[in-house]
Amino acid sequence: MNLKIVGIDFLYSIRSWFRSRGTVFWSLLFPVMLILLFGAIFSGMGNSKYTLYVQDLDNTDMSQGFVTILNKTGILNIKNITTNGTITDYIKENNIKNLIVIPKGYKTDITRSYTDPTTKVNLTYYFDPTEQQTNQVLRSVISSVLEGLNMQISQGRTVVGLTEYSTVTENFGYIDFFIPGMIGFTIMQQSIYGSIERNTKFRKDGILRKLLTTPITRSEWILAKMLFMLFLAFVSTSVAIGVGIFAFGIKVNINLLTITLIIATSFLFSGIGMIIGRFVKEEETADMAAGAISFPMMFLAGTFFAVDAMPSIIQMIARALPLFYVNEGLRNAMIYMNQSEAIINTGIVVVFAAIFFIAGVLLTKWKED
Amino acid sequence: MIEHRFKCPHCGAIATFYGEPGETKVVTCAACYTRGRITIPGEKQDNSYAIEVSHLKKVYDDLIAVNDISFAVKTGEIFAFLGPNGAGKTTTVEMIESIRTPTAGAIKLLGTDTKTGFNQVKERISILPQEFHSFERFTVRETLTYFSKLYKKRANIDEILDAMDLRSHEKKLYRNLSGGLKQRVGVALSLVNDPEIVFLDEPTTGLDPKARREVWQVIANLRSKGKTVFLTTHYMEEAEHLADHIAIIHKGKIIAEGSLQDLINRYGENTTLYIKNCHSAEAPQLLEDKGFEVHSSGNGDITVKIDYKEKVLEVLSALRHDCIEYDGVDIRGSNLEEVFLRLTGARLIEEVDT
Repeated sequence: MNLKIVGIDFLYSIRSWFRSRGTVFWSLLFPVMLILLFGAIFSGMGNSKYTLYVQDLDNTDMSQGFVTILNKTGILNIKNITTNGTITDYIKENNIKNLIVIPKGYKTDITRSYTDPTTKVNLTYYFDPTEQQTNQVLRSVISSVLEGLNMQISQGRTVVGLTEYSTVTENFGYIDFFIPGMIGFTIMQQSIYGSIERNTKFRKDGILRKLLTTPITRSEWILAKMLFMLFLAFVSTSVAIGVGIFAFGIKVNINLLTITLIIATSFLFSGIGMIIGRFVKEEETADMAAGAISFPMMFLAGTFFAVDAMPSIIQMIARALPLFYVNEGLRNAMIYMNQSEAIINTGIVVVFAAIFFIAGVLLTKWKED
Repeated sequence: MIEHRFKCPHCGAIATFYGEPGETKVVTCAACYTRGRITIPGEKQDNSYAIEVSHLKKVYDDLIAVNDISFAVKTGEIFAFLGPNGAGKTTTVEMIESIRTPTAGAIKLLGTDTKTGFNQVKERISILPQEFHSFERFTVRETLTYFSKLYKKRANIDEILDAMDLRSHEKKLYRNLSGGLKQRVGVALSLVNDPEIVFLDEPTTGLDPKARREVWQVIANLRSKGKTVFLTTHYMEEAEHLADHIAIIHKGKIIAEGSLQDLINRYGENTTLYIKNCHSAEAPQLLEDKGFEVHSSGNGDITVKIDYKEKVLEVLSALRHDCIEYDGVDIRGSNLEEVFLRLTGARLIEEVDT
């Protein structure tokens, strides 16, 4: 193995890649655009009216008056809820992001506070900490309303207070779900299409035949290209994480499992690309074949939306797709810190990678028949 | 091999050739394309063979693509492997380059059996595959540098750029080059390791006549540098213009092999003598009586088939002896196209076009 030759090919590949505006766009800017777009849509950015659920356990004229005041601010979309179960279960089941609970005895306590200055009543505010902009607005509105109310009741002394709870036990939002999926999707696209280019276009152009007669060996060349694919994978991962941190404030854990997953994903989909390139000779046909494999996988494997929300048949299909384990693994390793699940996902991806990459290498030939 | 400087008697251009002492070579002037023979001064020595092919065969299911062919290419010569599309040229050259595995036969490059020692000769050979397109987003210089760095032995890139007249294009991206320039870069790539053998598979296919001439110039220069060139082509003119040694392949078999003159002498039609506006109606009969094959057009023009050019004088003497006058004569010799036609019963260019 001549590592100098490997290094030369690696560096020239980077230079060539950087000159292709289309490739740079699809590798880096397109995922960034998707992250920003989906992040904006699903993280509440750009909302002009904010939904606030209200559970009025007191249900008196005074508690209803408070809700009316909230409603009159004009920027809240108030939705009343009634439930007999525990409120936390209700929040979880109905995916509620912001809720205020008016406790039973609200009116009684306020009335008592006129004679007993020590009496207080606390409203409970449940919020989604990942939706920072929404929280900021809602907190500001609720605080203003309470300030006015306290001023009216006791010339400013706090009678009605606010206790805050997170609506989620883990502080994760859609963007935390989406960015690992986007990373998996991007590496998949880069690896499959990069591999196909090397195995169909380079074959058609005679480059593989030319290389066959030079001192570079097939294993040196594949190693150089895999180093290049890993470089691309880490660059695109860094960009996606960077956008997530700076635009959406996500918290990411880079650990050994994350790195293993990125490497295994790159090998996995490069192997799939090699296999496609072996059986589909024409470049255009190979691109179509790659699209036929990668696009359904993108939608079915939980890149954009949680597989759990899909019909059971789709869930079964998703669990047969390698990208599903890539996405789940990255989420568990990077975001949720669910190490045991991440280890299982990583193991599955590594096994997939070993099978497909070895098959790809064995099937890839420089020699003509 | 020694260097020999040669002055073209036609245009006076100086060219450098390499060869063994005593070796006679057919050379083409790079400036005016005049062909001629030169003999390298000194005692003649045995020529070594750069390429030796023995009983080579390639079979695909029911199709015999290459059928038991054998030939050898001398060091320092341009060998043209000529034949129509589908004749087996590329299959043969790719077996020699170890891109395809032969069904049977043996190949030696620079004395090394390629079956076991191809990796040892990789440093000493270079190829330009058919319809080759290099990395699109490399500049010309980067393309040459990239391939150069794959070898231990490297030629000077600047010298190659100058020799191939690519200096003014060195910063252009490969994908922005014209077809002719791309082929020139392809040939230039074949020199980055200063190889002893250069394989060029249809290097001028698809090029316009001007670009083709440019590539020919580059190939002619390779010979002047002492390289052995294995050229596959379906262009008669290309083989006639460049090759020291020609092998014609047809339906997987070599049907003729030798220098251009050898092939014409062996397989060409007779030389034709055109006598324009002969003033005597007796002339055709007179020449027939002398044993010549004569065809009269009826308007005074006569064509006479002759075996050798020397017979021209015999014909003209016979006419003069009988005081028969004419307006002029034209002698037309045979060419490779006629050789191919005679050997295969088909015109090469027609087969290419269909």
